[in-house]
Amino acid sequence: MKAKISTEWLSGCSGCHVAIVDLHEKLLNLADEVEFVRVPVLMDEKGYPEADIGIVEGAIRSVHDREAVEHMRDSVRTLVAFGTCAVYGGPSGIGWLHDSESVFAQVYDGGPTNAGHERPDAGAPRLEESVVPIDEVVEVDFLLPGCPPSPYFIAAALRLLLDGSGPKLSKRTVCSGCTRKMSRRPGTALRKGAVTAADERLCLLSQGVVCMGSVTLDRCFSPCPQKGVACTGCNGPSLNIIREPQVDYRGVLAGTMSFLTGISEADVKAYIEAEAKTFYAYSLASPAIYKKPTVELREWAGDGHRHD
Amino acid sequence: MITIQVDEKACVSCTLCVDACETRVFAFNDATGLPEVVNAKECFGCLACSAACPANAIDHTGVPHSMNFYYDLHSLDMLSKMTGDAADAVPAIASADVKRGLDDLGARLLSLGAVLSATLRSGLPAVGTFAGRTLANQLPRYRVPKNFEEALALAIEEFAPAWQLEPKVSGDTLTITVKDCFLRRLAQKHNSETGGDLCTLFYHYLAGYLSRMGKVRLRHTATERGCDACTYTAQIHPS
Ligand code: SF4
Ligand code: SF4
Ligand code: SF4
Repeated sequence: MKAKISTEWLSGCSGCHVAIVDLHEKLLNLADEVEFVRVPVLMDEKGYPEADIGIVEGAIRSVHDREAVEHMRDSVRTLVAFGTCAVYGGPSGIGWLHDSESVFAQVYDGGPTNAGHERPDAGAPRLEESVVPIDEVVEVDFLLPGCPPSPYFIAAALRLLLDGSGPKLSKRTVCSGCTRKMSRRPGTALRKGAVTAADERLCLLSQGVVCMGSVTLDRCFSPCPQKGVACTGCNGPSLNIIREPQVDYRGVLAGTMSFLTGISEADVKAYIEAEAKTFYAYSLASPAIYKKPTVELREWAGDGHRHD
Repeated sequence: MITIQVDEKACVSCTLCVDACETRVFAFNDATGLPEVVNAKECFGCLACSAACPANAIDHTGVPHSMNFYYDLHSLDMLSKMTGDAADAVPAIASADVKRGLDDLGARLLSLGAVLSATLRSGLPAVGTFAGRTLANQLPRYRVPKNFEEALALAIEEFAPAWQLEPKVSGDTLTITVKDCFLRRLAQKHNSETGGDLCTLFYHYLAGYLSRMGKVRLRHTATERGCDACTYTAQIHPS
């Protein structure tokens, strides 16, 4: 008998659903073994049919999201938080920094793209006060972060859940798949903003660019740093950062960067704090991050610190 | 026995593991750009190399897990759900562990009681000094300073996450300027005044620690308190 898979799409961008389609021929291999009974982007199934594996994309942002995830939990045997939004809140998790009234005020009351300044409150599900990952609402059995997770890891996770076979899911960071070498370059200056690095073989940190590869779990095979673009941590924190309450992006990046370049740890930390919405963009609504005693996100980037 | 395995494909040649290991388990091979495990039997499982490794490329086996009292259980629970590996799940706290924890807590309370009863009559400075000496006694011994200067440098480094201390030794007078102070920041955050009991405790704690580590006697002569920096002055005597 084929295993039934049901999927649901909450506050996310649908990119994770597209990533499932991205499995290409692997999808065909799977077709002998699985049957999709509910997929919002492909099928018109309004109910929640029973399934063996439930895949949920997106965070809990509205009352609809909360109800939908509860229906998913009730109808499937194994529930997978699929993608960084479901696991950590993802980019919409930035709403965790503000109450829903100030989010509305920012977007609708003065927003340049909303000339009538009307709030869409009729017929739209009510926003909740904050944003939370799905495991804050229901029990989750498997976590597959990634924005979106690379097809390789999706296939590996499905294999694991179907029959426990297949390759192991990596415990390493994004650096592990990066071909650049970390070498000491004392005297290098800190380079802020979206800059690229001149040397193609040298680690971005060694070139003064704050790359988040070393603090990010590998679920992507490091495409960004290999193209010279700093990793923004879209797969969410590394296992070390999740495990150790006192270890945080800011401290690890400052320590490593200062070792490689001589840039003072304080300068790196100040930069990360000033740009907290960038460096914590994907994971700040997760208690695994905001509960850390060294993380003061609301102080760095909360309502008192809006740059508008 | 502890075994150490470096995932060579994952390694980015940063050399951080070589630096992080206090017992010099690794040596860096410049020709291959990889660290080599040259002293495996010296590994005592602190996992400092693993924590420093940007690629998380160093795996150990046979390291006893520390008690999970200080971990966040929700975060721990995420690990095995993310890797599908049961080995990543840290076992729930068993009742035997709770008993050990309580024994440990009991021992701490007893020693706190000892500190208090040994010092209470002589007031806060003595409590601070005693606690500082206790800290020095309890630290691991792999970095024993050779002399007072080394002890001072080490203390500055160790207190650095919370206190920025600038020491000056002239003749037998030690002056420490406290620039950035965790206590001062704390007091400012809560709108309370600095310079109270906490500061007294801290100065004597620092002095107690320094004197034990540097094998000298420090006689406190003055503390001056300011808004941006405080100074602590003491006479150094051989112990
Ligand atoms: S920090 Fe970034 S550039 Fe450097 S090795 Fe890691 S992923 Fe590559
Ligand atoms: S390299 Fe970083 S930013 Fe790029 S896909 Fe991977 S985790 Fe995301
Ligand atoms: S710390 Fe990790 S990446 Fe750096 S040299 Fe050691 S094994 Fe390689």
